Amino acid sequence: MAEVRYEGATRLYEGTEEPAVNALDLDIVDGELLVLVGPSGSGKSTALRMLAGLESVDQGGVYIGGRDVTLVPPKDRDIAMVFQNYALYPQMTVAANMGFALKQQGVPKEERVRQVREAARILDLEPYLDRKPKNLSGGQRQRVAMGRAIVRRPQVFLMDEPLSNLDAKLRVQTRTELADLQARLGVTTVYVTHDQVEAMTMGHRVAVLKDGFLQQVAAPKELYSRPANLFVAGFIGSPAMNLITVPVEDGVASLNDLSLPLPDDVRAEVNRRGLKEIVFGVRPEHLELGQEGTSGEVAVVEELGSEAYVHVRIAHGAETELIVVRVGGETSVTRGDFVNFGVTGANHYFDPDGDRLDAKPVPGAG
Amino acid sequence: MSSDTGLVVGQKRWTSWALGLLAWAVGLLFFFPIFWMVLNGFKEEIDANSSPQLFFDPTLDRYRDVTSETPGLLGFKEAFANSFWIVLISTILVMILAVPAAYSLAIRPVRKWRDVLFFFISTKFLPIVGAILPLWIIARDLDLLNTRTVLIILYTAMNLPLAVWMLRSFFMEVPRELIEAAQIDGAGLRGQLTSVVMPIVAPGLAATALLCVIFAWNEFFLAVQLNPVDGSTMPIWVTSNVSTRGNFLAKLSAASTLATLPVVLAGWVAQKRMIRGLAMGAIK
Amino acid sequence: MTDTQPDTAPDAGPDTRDEERAEERRHLERREKWIRRLPLLPALLFTIVITQVPFVFSLFYSLTDWKIIPPTPRTFIGFDNFTDLVDNQFFRDAAWVSVVMTASAVLLSLILGTGIALLLDRKFFGQGFVRTLLITPFLVMPVVAGLVWKNQVFSSQYGVINWLLNLVGIDNVEFVTRYPLWSIVIVLVWEWTPFMMLIILAGLQGQPTDVLEAARVDGATNRAIFFQITLPHLKPYLELGTLLGSIYLIQVFDQIEVITGGGPDSSNIPFFVFQRSIGGGWDFGAASAMSIVVVIASIVLANLGLRVLSGLLEGEDPA
Ligand SMILES: Nc1ncnc2c1ncn2[C@@H]1O[C@H](COP(=O)(O)OP(=O)(O)OP(=O)(O)O)[C@@H](O)[C@H]1O
Ligand SMILES: [Mg+2]
Repeated sequence: MAEVRYEGATRLYEGTEEPAVNALDLDIVDGELLVLVGPSGSGKSTALRMLAGLESVDQGGVYIGGRDVTLVPPKDRDIAMVFQNYALYPQMTVAANMGFALKQQGVPKEERVRQVREAARILDLEPYLDRKPKNLSGGQRQRVAMGRAIVRRPQVFLMDEPLSNLDAKLRVQTRTELADLQARLGVTTVYVTHDQVEAMTMGHRVAVLKDGFLQQVAAPKELYSRPANLFVAGFIGSPAMNLITVPVEDGVASLNDLSLPLPDDVRAEVNRRGLKEIVFGVRPEHLELGQEGTSGEVAVVEELGSEAYVHVRIAHGAETELIVVRVGGETSVTRGDFVNFGVTGANHYFDPDGDRLDAKPVPGAG
Repeated sequence: MSSDTGLVVGQKRWTSWALGLLAWAVGLLFFFPIFWMVLNGFKEEIDANSSPQLFFDPTLDRYRDVTSETPGLLGFKEAFANSFWIVLISTILVMILAVPAAYSLAIRPVRKWRDVLFFFISTKFLPIVGAILPLWIIARDLDLLNTRTVLIILYTAMNLPLAVWMLRSFFMEVPRELIEAAQIDGAGLRGQLTSVVMPIVAPGLAATALLCVIFAWNEFFLAVQLNPVDGSTMPIWVTSNVSTRGNFLAKLSAASTLATLPVVLAGWVAQKRMIRGLAMGAIK
Repeated sequence: MTDTQPDTAPDAGPDTRDEERAEERRHLERREKWIRRLPLLPALLFTIVITQVPFVFSLFYSLTDWKIIPPTPRTFIGFDNFTDLVDNQFFRDAAWVSVVMTASAVLLSLILGTGIALLLDRKFFGQGFVRTLLITPFLVMPVVAGLVWKNQVFSSQYGVINWLLNLVGIDNVEFVTRYPLWSIVIVLVWEWTPFMMLIILAGLQGQPTDVLEAARVDGATNRAIFFQITLPHLKPYLELGTLLGSIYLIQVFDQIEVITGGGPDSSNIPFFVFQRSIGGGWDFGAASAMSIVVVIASIVLANLGLRVLSGLLEGEDPA
């Protein structure tokens, strides 16, 4: 078991202009489950594959357990990887698939069988040990891929969207099992997904990537409550945070009839940067329908049972903008109603260029 | 997986029947010359050399005739043995050369893999006739005329581009992730090849080898130019049964059947995979 | 954790580490390059030596006056062999035969092959068996194919066709003597139609069914489906068939040898080269010049073909 470190790690694919992963600095502590998340093409897989040794690191380095493995071939890195399509060896049985790595290490047969059985027991795969992968269901294949990884007892698990081929329900269930298994084994894990719910529910910490740049690494809660920039604010959370550009005058931002006095630190920053406009962000749960506030017409109501999301169309300069407000379930509001809403809690303020405007939190807190 | 090309839906039943019947008719028509050849091989010369007849007393005598040895002439046993060894060794050589090359073009591609593949294929565009005279001179000067060696070397060269082409397409079918998984599982190059790559491409290897066997077995041009005498092969033996005097049709048919049979059987067995290798190599 | 780096000496700052790495990286890249190239080299070298080097010799011979029988000393005569070719009626005939033979055989077998593939791409009783019958001509030794057709199908005395013609009261026709070129083309088409058929069949069966179904739901007629969906889908397969067919058919020799044994009406350039040299002419200088002409023609053809090929390989990058 080991900690993992990226140090200015950069990967520039041949024939491309921009690095797929750009000067990535990331520390992952021993036993942590770190999730790499980001939109498609943001470089998540590339970052993972650099750690696996499947892509070369063109600048900087990667370390596993303090050992510089930048130039070490994959087979000598002592890692295990779960692929999106599982990459099970088609001509081998489940048992042989799981035992393959041990065989390569020269582990004697009886020991191999014992360890494979043990892993199969943990994953409920015992009845299938003699089957070929093609005779398994998608979920079972996924577990075999997991089994192949855990038999090894590697220093690090690498997983690239391991659940994306499962149906929605199984995905949710497996997600919990996987997180639990990881916690029990205590193996440092780097987990790639583009599904931010998966990221938030599983990760001890989550690293958000965009265009090859690391945007923020933080615990899920902090990522949600203190997104470091506009991108993270918009990316994390479902439905997404309402983000709307508003004018600022004398330290007060205004959204139609709503006056939003800025906190002191934000105000200072706005003045320092000389901003006339900022991006105001507020999550749907921090808005409330009522008598007060600004008004708009209800465009859509998404009823989820326990709660509902009301999309309110408000005038915004010459255009209109949709604002999402969370309300309790079984709401009586319907499409076409005119409603008022106000702000009840945590607001976020961003420079239109992307930066978060309030003072940096004290390092180590949060 | 048969994707009916749209001829079926909306068609009357009898049209469908008629098309099936037509397919049979065309199939039988194409096969007829071969059928006729096989049939004639079981006739007496006198029956073969008269107006075509379907019914006769079958005899194996022509097979006895063509396989009996005449001193000084290329006999069946000798030609068969020559063909067998030439085809076998050249095919083995082709595979030894082509497998690593195809691996290099598909799984761990060199930077200019496209150019290299083009080069291999382009050699097939250059007619052998452009090289045959120098080859003849070189073979003569090296004392290789009329030896099996010269045919082994040339058949290897003849089949190599096609083999590289086909094998590359079979190697391309190995999912990249599988090889990566094997790397991560700690397998070295040998482990990756023996445990992951080979089991997947083995049927493709077999089909490729078979195609090489077919082409080499049937080859006539080079054999006639460079090795028309002692160490010669089955196609030349077949033509040696054509005589300018007397009737030879039944004998020729028997000889032709013997010469054709091994390769036709092989081709029947491997038909689907061979074409997949040829077609999929280019079209994904 | 930043301070736990057992591998690195404590005083090795990031800069020196980077330099070390860069050095090692270069070394590894060089090695990797060779590891990738090495498996290619034997095949590449072998192919170059056996197929390319002789051409250089051919080129040289073609510039000389050189007969082996009777032995004459080799003298350098520049391009005389080539200029002689222009006036050589036999060579022009051979060139024309080459063109007609290749083009008609490729075209006819492609059309027939496509038709038969369409017939076979539907469920009917004995489908697999009929396909097996149909591919057999391609597997038959070309020499045998030529002999069988000549002696048992075309022959005026014992041939099946004439027997049938007699039945309907038409007199015997000596096909091979009357129509030497077309007799050969028929045999070539008989041999290559199966090959084309198999390639087209591979294409038809790789056709995504959902597109066809969608078209049908949209109310397209069978005709429209064929011309607007199936045919465009088959295009690369048709191109591949043309390409591979041309490569082999431009070099036809065996069938000519056994059916007509040459002659102005049926010998293509490869056969003519053979006749002028090893086949009895022994005029290696002139024959080499002819073969160079074929090679040049083929290079032109190959360029067209390779353009097709590169279209086929487009977008497929294993790197
Ligand atoms: N082999 C390659 N050659 C060139 N560019 C590549 C290669 N692989 C990936 N890229 C590019 O690098 C960038 C990052 O790709 P990567 O696969 O890491 O994205 P990702 O975050 O995993 O996306 P996804 O969620 O779609 O899997 C993309 O812009 C992609 O186009
Ligand atoms: Mg990815």
